[in-house]
Amino acid sequence: MTADIYRPMRLNDISSSLPEEIKTACNTDVNLCMECGKCSGGCSNAHIFDYTPRKIVQLVKLGAEDTLLKMDALWICVACQLCVDRCPSGINIPRILDYMREKAYRQGVKAGRSNVELFHNLMLESIRNTGRVAETPLLVKYIFRTRQYLKDTNLGRKLFFKGKLNPFSPRVKNINQVRRLFINTPVNKEG
Amino acid sequence: MDIAYYPGCSLHSMAHEYDVSTRLVCQHLGIRLHEVPDWNCCGATAAHSLDHQLAVGLSGRNLLLVNDMKLKQVTTPCAGCFNRLKTAGSELKIDSRSDEIEKLLGTSLASAREVEVAHILQVMIEEIGLEAIGQQVAKSLNGIKLASYYGCLITRPKAIARFDDPEQPVSLDHILQVLGAQTVNWSHKAECCGGGFTASQTDIVVDLGGQVLEAARQAGAEAIVVACPMCQANLDTRQTEIEDVNGIKYHMPIIYFTQLMGLAFGYSATKVGLNRLLTSPFNLLKSRGLAV
Repeated sequence: MTADIYRPMRLNDISSSLPEEIKTACNTDVNLCMECGKCSGGCSNAHIFDYTPRKIVQLVKLGAEDTLLKMDALWICVACQLCVDRCPSGINIPRILDYMREKAYRQGVKAGRSNVELFHNLMLESIRNTGRVAETPLLVKYIFRTRQYLKDTNLGRKLFFKGKLNPFSPRVKNINQVRRLFINTPVNKEG
Repeated sequence: MDIAYYPGCSLHSMAHEYDVSTRLVCQHLGIRLHEVPDWNCCGATAAHSLDHQLAVGLSGRNLLLVNDMKLKQVTTPCAGCFNRLKTAGSELKIDSRSDEIEKLLGTSLASAREVEVAHILQVMIEEIGLEAIGQQVAKSLNGIKLASYYGCLITRPKAIARFDDPEQPVSLDHILQVLGAQTVNWSHKAECCGGGFTASQTDIVVDLGGQVLEAARQAGAEAIVVACPMCQANLDTRQTEIEDVNGIKYHMPIIYFTQLMGLAFGYSATKVGLNRLLTSPFNLLKSRGLAV
């Protein structure tokens, strides 16, 4: 993984309009970046990213949309917001990542970490169905979909005996209002 | 004092003890919490990760419900919900897409923008105050050495949270000191525990959570105190795996700050749900005469 960080950036689909698009959609201006690297210095996960936060901003400036949509970092940013507060130019990198991830998701670009996308999807399905997230059914569904039957059996037993596994979730009464919020989302079509 | 209460999904499920202890401590301090009727999930990491409009809409609906209660302020004990509700409030002010969300919800969001959102830790500090909390202490925490862990979203991003310092916060330390505990100086107060990746990228939680546990151990902490159900779940449920990877037995209880407030106010350890934590805090509490 470490060696991969130093590979040349792939600029497959250069479009110089991306910084403007990001400015409008995310209210953040990548052209203010002075490449100081404070974002990458503080990043919890930069050591496992294929592109560090500083490089991600450069990719936006270069209009390397294709690389941004396919990169692994898109799916493993923990959104801890440290880079937002450290950036001297006020660039909101987690928001840029949210925007690019939404774009990748809508375009059906295969996620580098498909389990992350699956987990988000199952969670949103739960919200669409009941208005809330019931942790236990969500985890069970996730285990079956990923076929990781044995991964957390010990943990599951401990949680069961602590009374932490609650199979029920109260349904929001005005569920139709919640469901209407899903009309424009791809999640709506899959269920 | 009347405040709307948004527990969030975790507090109705795995983090039940955080809900119970929050309600108990608030009642003790004269804060009347009114649960938001018919609240929906804030969307958590999933919604903002895949759909911006959906994320703002889900939290926008909750803010509207608060306004319908004729209350101006809502509090939540979950750092994730806090961040989502507050982000929605701010996005609705500037986002041109709020028009579309209004169409979907079938109602105006104007009033949702006025609702104030506060984390429960913030309510304790800003509305109740350390002096009033100190006056309620019936049973001192007897110098127990604690690492106060804020995680990411209680104080970040600064422009959204507007509470305490984004990287060197002190509010939780102050509360624990007033309760009679010592708090350690340590490096990972506001580092990330791995957030919502506990199921889908367990390695990340083991890595980041492991750094938090190790930092607390090195600082001499006997337990970590949290104010977020996700921080608690990650550090507690993944502790065995972290121990296997780091080759160290931590036995580090991960306790909600409201549980310790309740304990110091004179309630029993089981009343505040300390028996529901996976890593048992009872040996530690017994050694200080805080549990039987």
